[in-house]
Amino acid sequence: MIRLSIGGEGLSRLIRELRWRMDPLNWVQLASILILFTLFLILPIFSIIVNAFLYGGAPSLAWFEKILSDPYYMPWGGVDLSFYEVIESTLPDGSRRVIIYIDGFDLGVIPNSFMVATLTTIFSSIIGFTLAFLFARYRFPFSEPLRILMLTPLLSTPFVGAIGIKKMISPDGFVNTVLVDIIPILPFRIEITGLAAVIMVQTLLFYPIVFLNVYTALLNIDPSQEEQAENLGAKGFYLFRTVTLPLALPGLEAGALLVFILSIEDLGTPLVFRGTNADKLMTVAIFRRLFAPTGDIQGEATALSFILLIISLGVFLAVRRYISLRKYAMLGKGGIWRRRLGSIPVPILPAIYVGLILFLFIALLPHIGVTLMAFAQDWPVGSILPSGYTLRNFEALFMDPGVSRNIFNSLVYSVVAMILITIIGVSSAYIVSRIRVPGIDLLDALVTMPIAIPGIIVATGYFLTFLGTPLNPIEWGAPLLIAAYTVRKFPFGVRTFFAGLEQVDKALEEAAINVGASRTRVFFTITIPLILMNILAGSMLAFIYSMSEVSTSIVVGDANHNDAPMTWKMYDIMFKGFGGTFQAAAMGFILMSLQFLMILGSNLILRRRATALISL
Amino acid sequence: MVSIRAVDVTKRFGQVVALDHVNLEIRQGEFFTLLGPSGCGKTTFLRTIAGFELVDEGRIYFDEEDVTYVPPHKRDTGMVFQNYALWPHMTVYDNIAYGLRVRKLPRDEIDRRVKWALKLVHMEGFERRRPHQLSGGQQQRVALARALVIHPRVLLLDEPLSNLDAKLRIEMRSEIRRLQRELGITTIYVTHDQEEALAISDRIAVMSGGRVMQVGPPEEIYLRPANRFVADFIGRGTFLEGRVLETDHELVVELESGLGTVRGVPSRSDRRISVGERVLVAIRPESFTVAGSEGYNAFDVVVRNISFVGSVKRVEAEAGEKLFIIDIPVEYDVSIGGSLRVYVKPSRTIVIPLE
Repeated sequence: MIRLSIGGEGLSRLIRELRWRMDPLNWVQLASILILFTLFLILPIFSIIVNAFLYGGAPSLAWFEKILSDPYYMPWGGVDLSFYEVIESTLPDGSRRVIIYIDGFDLGVIPNSFMVATLTTIFSSIIGFTLAFLFARYRFPFSEPLRILMLTPLLSTPFVGAIGIKKMISPDGFVNTVLVDIIPILPFRIEITGLAAVIMVQTLLFYPIVFLNVYTALLNIDPSQEEQAENLGAKGFYLFRTVTLPLALPGLEAGALLVFILSIEDLGTPLVFRGTNADKLMTVAIFRRLFAPTGDIQGEATALSFILLIISLGVFLAVRRYISLRKYAMLGKGGIWRRRLGSIPVPILPAIYVGLILFLFIALLPHIGVTLMAFAQDWPVGSILPSGYTLRNFEALFMDPGVSRNIFNSLVYSVVAMILITIIGVSSAYIVSRIRVPGIDLLDALVTMPIAIPGIIVATGYFLTFLGTPLNPIEWGAPLLIAAYTVRKFPFGVRTFFAGLEQVDKALEEAAINVGASRTRVFFTITIPLILMNILAGSMLAFIYSMSEVSTSIVVGDANHNDAPMTWKMYDIMFKGFGGTFQAAAMGFILMSLQFLMILGSNLILRRRATALISL
Repeated sequence: MVSIRAVDVTKRFGQVVALDHVNLEIRQGEFFTLLGPSGCGKTTFLRTIAGFELVDEGRIYFDEEDVTYVPPHKRDTGMVFQNYALWPHMTVYDNIAYGLRVRKLPRDEIDRRVKWALKLVHMEGFERRRPHQLSGGQQQRVALARALVIHPRVLLLDEPLSNLDAKLRIEMRSEIRRLQRELGITTIYVTHDQEEALAISDRIAVMSGGRVMQVGPPEEIYLRPANRFVADFIGRGTFLEGRVLETDHELVVELESGLGTVRGVPSRSDRRISVGERVLVAIRPESFTVAGSEGYNAFDVVVRNISFVGSVKRVEAEAGEKLFIIDIPVEYDVSIGGSLRVYVKPSRTIVIPLE
């Protein structure tokens, strides 16, 4: 993978090669990438590693011994395999009421994180693959609008969605009321909570990632390959198993990998289900233990961060070939073939529609829930819908002067992060794609690595590294939050830019160099204009993801309320302030609307190409 | 207009040696072709001249100037790419003017020269078009104009005709040759099409595996191939192995497989062939005539296949388990399985040393 075996003669050749290949502009680009990532990714991670192996100031494995022997973290105390609980009560009117609480197994913090991520990945993959196959291979009335609706959860964040879904699935919420009271299918109420709820919410939020990746992979299959197999006598499931599935597998693997990492690093969803066994996840455990009462960072949290880092980095490295820029660009090329489209037999069609609409309803529960709550006057226990609608939640929200400041903060940070991601991201995509010198694979790895670094780890690292420096987040939150957004959302921008670059024939640039233009001039007059669409799409992604960043936002926001962004405010209102979930939902609605406006705006600029470009 | 000299140029890509100590001299105003199968290093060599590849060893000179480490944008070469590489976001005019704007020429000078270049390639009136509104042949002309408008020191053409259909290819081929003569510009042309190379070039370098196998004018390459690779790659032929019996007056070679002796001429003047040496005898299909009474250089062959290729009948035949490829007049009657006696003049019987 990395060719860096350099002797003396090789080194001088490398230097000559570098000087030959790179303009002053390219050196500035490379330097800016290296400074950004060294300062705001490598250094913080490094300080976590150092801190995790210190105990009372001396090198030690004490924190790891403590964590790994503690039954709270590991399943040493025996595992309770019951994953539900039945609670019966008698209501005041004398009727009996049965609620089954499903909260999943509790295996201890570390196995829990692993289990939740694995199950979320499996469920998301099954749903995502099924939908992708259906929409890639069959055309039926309304299939196109349905396909786009299926992608909407991409626009939400676990934090926002979880608030909505929690309300909808509570024992007296919409789902139970409908299923038990209105059309009595169920003899008892079910509440999904704790770890089980985390898995459910994450699955509903992350399945579009698998869907998109597999969908693209399926569109990229040359139809003649399947036709050849049919020509040789393969059909039905045999054809699927031997040709279609293997060819779509890279898309499935890339999507599943992303889901695993997003799930294991998710802090927002478990926080919504606080007070249940959802607290026993690594991200929450780190978050809770981050600060000692003295204000110092606790070794237990950094050691736990280190373990989480090893797991996510391990998974990342194991499947890196699927998310390196090069691999992504291959996946990202839109379908250029005449598609193989089947039609669904008319008798089955109603079943397909019922299934899709039912699923769509469940998938959109978070958004529906948040929206209803944001405008709810009150939502009495036992009622399907709010008792009335009002703007009071918003009025109340903005009575707090902090709210508009937090929204303003979010917008400023996200715009600055977007600009940085665009400038530095296009630069790194360009260098990885065009300056083929030994060691460039390392740069590719560096700029895609943030995908694998949980936000809570970035936040912890920032406190360890920058407390007591001019960038102290307690004094001034903006720089580190902007840095966190820039680094964390960098891979999503850079992949989109890179995909664009790979579709530009290198000869177009060489032709310009040949008639006398320097690399710098070529970059601005040929390269940038040719990938403008991808640059716009990538910047937009960067902005949307920055706005909805949870983990670094709430850790830094907790330490500095004044400079906190809106995601922190939602968390704060929900658990600490007055108004609680209704105002948090109002805030979530504002966030969703801002994202939606952004998408709408760029759709107008990008036209049809947008859907092809906006993918994880 | 310059002469170009490549001295011991070597280029590796990882483990692969793309150019292996290549020495070539291209004369001023010459139309020079690099010919070879894909992967032979011909495009890599062109790209080292343009400066897109940095050589690992060796030197490149434009006249007396050492350009080995001159970056590509300062070399003043005009290159035409295989797929034309016209910029889709610019009009034809802007495509051609780009190199002049880079040179910061005054506006009216740019205008004058773009018009000149468009006229040169017969594309007047297309200034406002976009590349995607042009046919393949028109795109080709614009690409040529873009390369020529900067008055390059050398014109570099990388398989420029491979994307055109057969008829247009022949048309553009003479067009390119006409332009080159008119401007007197030193030109390096890369192709894998041997017929194209023979038709268009002043001189040809045949390459294989990163090495130059032979350099010479088309007739010499065709009629006097220096080795088996060149003989095989350029045109078709009958190849027979043997051992030299006499070198006194004519070369006399005793052929293997019991085919008797033949008289022939050496392929190369720079290397003497000695008695007892193993050699390859190469005969072009059109060098055969149906034999009359000649007692030497004649073969009795059995016809295995006949194909009609327009101007002649091409016969695949066999003698002594060797494959013979023979062109015979269309009106001559032969049938598969029948026998045929053919003759070849000693001057068309080429004896190639087997090293």
